[in-house]
Amino acid sequence: MSSEADDLNERLAVAVLELDEDLAVALTHEVIERGFDPWNAVEFGLLAGVNRAGKLFDEEEYFVPELLIAADAMYAGLQILRPHIKTEDHGNTRKVVIGVVQGDTHDIGKNLVRIMLEVAGFEVHDLGRDVPPHKFVEQAIEVKADLIALSTLMTTTMERMSEVIGLLEAQNVRNRFKVIVGGSPLSQHFSDRIGADGYAPKASQAVLLAKRLTGLVNAA
Amino acid sequence: MSALIRTEPQEELNSLERVVLALQYQKPDRVPAAPLVCGASCRVLGYSYDRWSQDPKVAVASLLAAQDLIGFDGFLTLVDLSVEAEDFGQELIFPERSTALPNFDNPFIRTAEDYGKVRQVDPLKSRRMSTVVEIIRGLIEARGTEVPTMGFIYGPLGVLSQIRGHAELFKDIIRHPDRVLEAVETINRSLIDYAKAQIQAGAHAIVLDPLYSSASILKKETWVKFEAEIFKSVAQTIRDAGVPVIVHNCGGGVYFDAVLEHIAPIAISHAYPAHGSPDWEHHAETWAKKVVSIGVADPAKVGHEFSQAEVVEDCRRQIETFSRAEGGFILSSGCEFPPNGSLLSARTMVQTAKVYGRY
Repeated sequence: MSSEADDLNERLAVAVLELDEDLAVALTHEVIERGFDPWNAVEFGLLAGVNRAGKLFDEEEYFVPELLIAADAMYAGLQILRPHIKTEDHGNTRKVVIGVVQGDTHDIGKNLVRIMLEVAGFEVHDLGRDVPPHKFVEQAIEVKADLIALSTLMTTTMERMSEVIGLLEAQNVRNRFKVIVGGSPLSQHFSDRIGADGYAPKASQAVLLAKRLTGLVNAA
Repeated sequence: MSALIRTEPQEELNSLERVVLALQYQKPDRVPAAPLVCGASCRVLGYSYDRWSQDPKVAVASLLAAQDLIGFDGFLTLVDLSVEAEDFGQELIFPERSTALPNFDNPFIRTAEDYGKVRQVDPLKSRRMSTVVEIIRGLIEARGTEVPTMGFIYGPLGVLSQIRGHAELFKDIIRHPDRVLEAVETINRSLIDYAKAQIQAGAHAIVLDPLYSSASILKKETWVKFEAEIFKSVAQTIRDAGVPVIVHNCGGGVYFDAVLEHIAPIAISHAYPAHGSPDWEHHAETWAKKVVSIGVADPAKVGHEFSQAEVVEDCRRQIETFSRAEGGFILSSGCEFPPNGSLLSARTMVQTAKVYGRY
């Protein structure tokens, strides 16, 4: 990588970190115009910026609003770069179907996990919020997902997660997908009870769990 | 010869007396126990959730039956967090077996310009806020001299998040702060009237829910600017009427210091240790004598996971941890008791307070 490209990627990272979406878009265009590697701009620019924002979030320097705007800046740049990236550039070809289960519209936690999964290179199919159980199953089968990630913030909707697993079993496709669950009222005990493959109490841990379950990192 | 075995000894105080004393750091006969059984009460008489949450007579009958069954020491009129939102114009979805929720496919505020659409409403002429007022009135008429009834008001920033969408609101706080503040002010004016209506209906105390006073969502200064500085007028209105203010916040890392400074409640109902406290021991050491704690059982665990023995042990441990409050503790779930959770576990919480919580 040239020092000029390095410099541009660093400025891109700082633009994302400092929540400057307009600047991030302008710098992303510059990456294309100057013929620099678009995947490097994603990895060392956009994703590096969001990662730094995430670190500040962990340190309580940034909070949810800042993280959401940093993510918006990242997505704005990603939209420009994506057509220029060959899929084999980033190695990780694992696919995730993610969503908030039916009856719940709290999607910030799910969005944080989606961002972090995308940062980690997963191809994420986001079904949004208030998603009926059959939608998870249909989408996972259609895109040949590796992982289904279910989120909820409410105790009233926790059981929807077991309905998703029940549907997978009823359609004899349970063994095709790993299922992970997350959200404030959940626990490892709940995950075990409904037969999920894993539970993560925090967004960052969800990514590690997804990597482990899809064989990107060792289980140890 | 037959022997009389009394498994439920006569208690010295009624629930109202017990809670009033605890809120003043005076030791009652035992630790009051008030798991926040709200929507769960619909199951006691077999009503659907959507009916329970929209028909005050059904809600009152259900809550009274739940109190008979469980024996909790207080009613909380938390119906759902979308009560105020609908009256400000948000379309809701009412599932038959779960909590009402906003239809965010059709948000009342779609763009930043739409914040200007928010208009003050009269709670008594609105559909859902008036329902809550009627629930309070019904509970007070039925049991007002024996069991405390606490009103409930969601904070203006929380209400706004229910008519804009949570993520969009949080981004607007940075991108369009003046528009957000203007809408928060407008909503707050209606909440002042809502508080007065609840007081008029006889509420013994009013619970305010500033959900975003939590490190898991907003920076402390952001919460103070966008909610506390405005919402404190609702708290003052309640105090001016001689009614106690209680805060509920089930978020992680509640800013106890800022909540006390701006809202000044006599008690905080919470699910997690305060911001800055790594565990319950530290929390109790720091806060138990500064503000009455209401909590702190994990609702999902007590409602869904724990065996009865585990509920007993969990609650016994909480009573022990908060013994340093010298009476200023009410055993409860840290958030609404799961509407589909085990009612037996709610009852076990109360029984545990009777056995292990005697002063």
